[in-house]
Amino acid sequence: MVTAKTRYFVIASLLVMFVGLGTGLVAFYVGFPATAFFNKNSPDELRYLPSGMSLVGYVEVREIMASDLRQRLRQNFGGEAQDNGRKQFQELTGINFETDIEHIVGGFDAGGPAGSNGLAIARGVFDNVKIEALMQEHGAHVQDYKGKRLVVVDRFGDAAATNFNNFGAEARPADPSFALTFIEPGLVAFGSTALVQHAIDLHATGGESAATNDDLVSHIRALEGGNAWVVGRLDVLRSKTKLPEIVANQLPPITWFGFRGQVDGGLQARVTAEARDDESATMLRDVVRGFLALAKLQTTSKPEFQHFIQSLQLGGTGTTVSLSLDVPAQLFDALGSVMPKPPVGQPQTPQ
Amino acid sequence: MTKPGVLASAVRVFDFSFGQMLWSRRSVFLALLVGAPMAIAVAVRLVAMTTGLPVINGAGLSGPTLFGILIWLLFVRFIVPVLGVFYGTSLIADEVDDKTITYLFTRPVPRAAVLLGKYFSYLACVVLLVLPSVVVVYFLIVPIGGHIGEAFPSLLADLGMLLAGLASYGALFAFVGAQLKRPLIVGLVFAFGWESTVLLIPGYLKRLSVAYYLQALVPHAMPQDASAISALLQVFQEFPSVMSSLICLTAITVGALWLAGRAVETREYVLEQ
Repeated sequence: MVTAKTRYFVIASLLVMFVGLGTGLVAFYVGFPATAFFNKNSPDELRYLPSGMSLVGYVEVREIMASDLRQRLRQNFGGEAQDNGRKQFQELTGINFETDIEHIVGGFDAGGPAGSNGLAIARGVFDNVKIEALMQEHGAHVQDYKGKRLVVVDRFGDAAATNFNNFGAEARPADPSFALTFIEPGLVAFGSTALVQHAIDLHATGGESAATNDDLVSHIRALEGGNAWVVGRLDVLRSKTKLPEIVANQLPPITWFGFRGQVDGGLQARVTAEARDDESATMLRDVVRGFLALAKLQTTSKPEFQHFIQSLQLGGTGTTVSLSLDVPAQLFDALGSVMPKPPVGQPQTPQ
Repeated sequence: MTKPGVLASAVRVFDFSFGQMLWSRRSVFLALLVGAPMAIAVAVRLVAMTTGLPVINGAGLSGPTLFGILIWLLFVRFIVPVLGVFYGTSLIADEVDDKTITYLFTRPVPRAAVLLGKYFSYLACVVLLVLPSVVVVYFLIVPIGGHIGEAFPSLLADLGMLLAGLASYGALFAFVGAQLKRPLIVGLVFAFGWESTVLLIPGYLKRLSVAYYLQALVPHAMPQDASAISALLQVFQEFPSVMSSLICLTAITVGALWLAGRAVETREYVLEQ
């Protein structure tokens, strides 16, 4: 015999179920733009990157530079070489990487013409006049683009190219030209001229950017936190870059991948990969699980690696595979102690 | 006068035992069990609103991840087996202990219908409490860094999995309750001794557990820690397919109910004076 009390209970319970499932169903079918939930603390600079970027990254430069881990790395792995490289960059651009830059957001478009597909937006404290003067001193010239001063370094045939090419392979602007502009006070964009001009366009008129790319934003949002992260489309990178066939065939069928790290006393990181389907994800998980088991076996007699190995956590559901890790600073000390030291007095290559 | 059929009789038994079961003292325990995840979810929500969720191994703990952990650790590994043991074993055992089984068995209904009606009451009771609790936890936790629409299919899978688990464990322990004299002890040993152990042993032994099939239906990754048990689970982890899990759980439920019905029909219950 069902009493009124029981009836009310059943109604209340079913109501919770129906309202909950109904709301979930509506959210599932209608969906909400990922940008609507975008973390306010996330970089605004995404607004200046083109929407079709195949790789987007973020680095909290000042925090990482001041971290204990970085100091240990400098001690253990050629701090002098790093200092030289930083000084050389400062002489050429007037930017002190260690103190001037707060954070950098960078993007790479695998579909763009080779050498002109990268853009970085840095926020910090910059001396515009000094930077411009230094770059001009090294052969750069200033152009006007929609009211913004564009400091351009052409690739061939001018002194700037020679100077910048001497700086080292990684910093060398490849093709066809490298530009730098101050989008707004404390915000500098540098990279290929075409992309820097596009950033100026986006700043002036808005439009489709990385910040309006829901797919990209939802993947960035999924990483949440950390002082360095990278999100990218491995399938796009693979299709646009000419990888050797033997390498391309070995790569797992991953669409999106992500990395996020928290650098402080050590490195806590998580690598995520989104496989093409559930089956590929399961296969990938099995492969990683096998490697983890092997790593555990190999390091049983090495206590300095134990914390790191124990921290390796495989996770993920459906098509997502994730691997979390925690690298303590002591591990870098241990690695530093086994690395061969350069002979005293031998010049180190700037990096 | 013809005896009514088993199903019709079971409905009559369900009718009076549902309210009785819902408002029994045991329901306080049930309310605490399903209230705990909701309290945890409220606490997590408050923490997320004030300081944000903690970062573990460099990974920001997002709402959907935390929801998956709660489903695994609280619901799959604890609440569902516990409810199955406490309610399932008591379906007949309580009537024996209270010496009221005679009144039920003297009614002109098949004895198996008494068990079946009580089993359906148990199922309605726990389903109406556990599933809304999961929905509330979902809406409290998943929006923290997640999206309710994106994770909705996994919620449906969770609800289906919990329903299957409650039905299977309930049926199995209803049989244990109908067959054995000290069903609660046997049930607890099975749920938290046997099931936990066989999952760690390589080979076919794990197929003799409900958890093996139930865990294959969980749409979230199994949480891992640095313990030896977690490492063993990771190494010997082997999940049957969803379809075979569903078939096996259905077989366990139907088989256990049939056996329980047979036990009730044939067993002589001696009431202690």
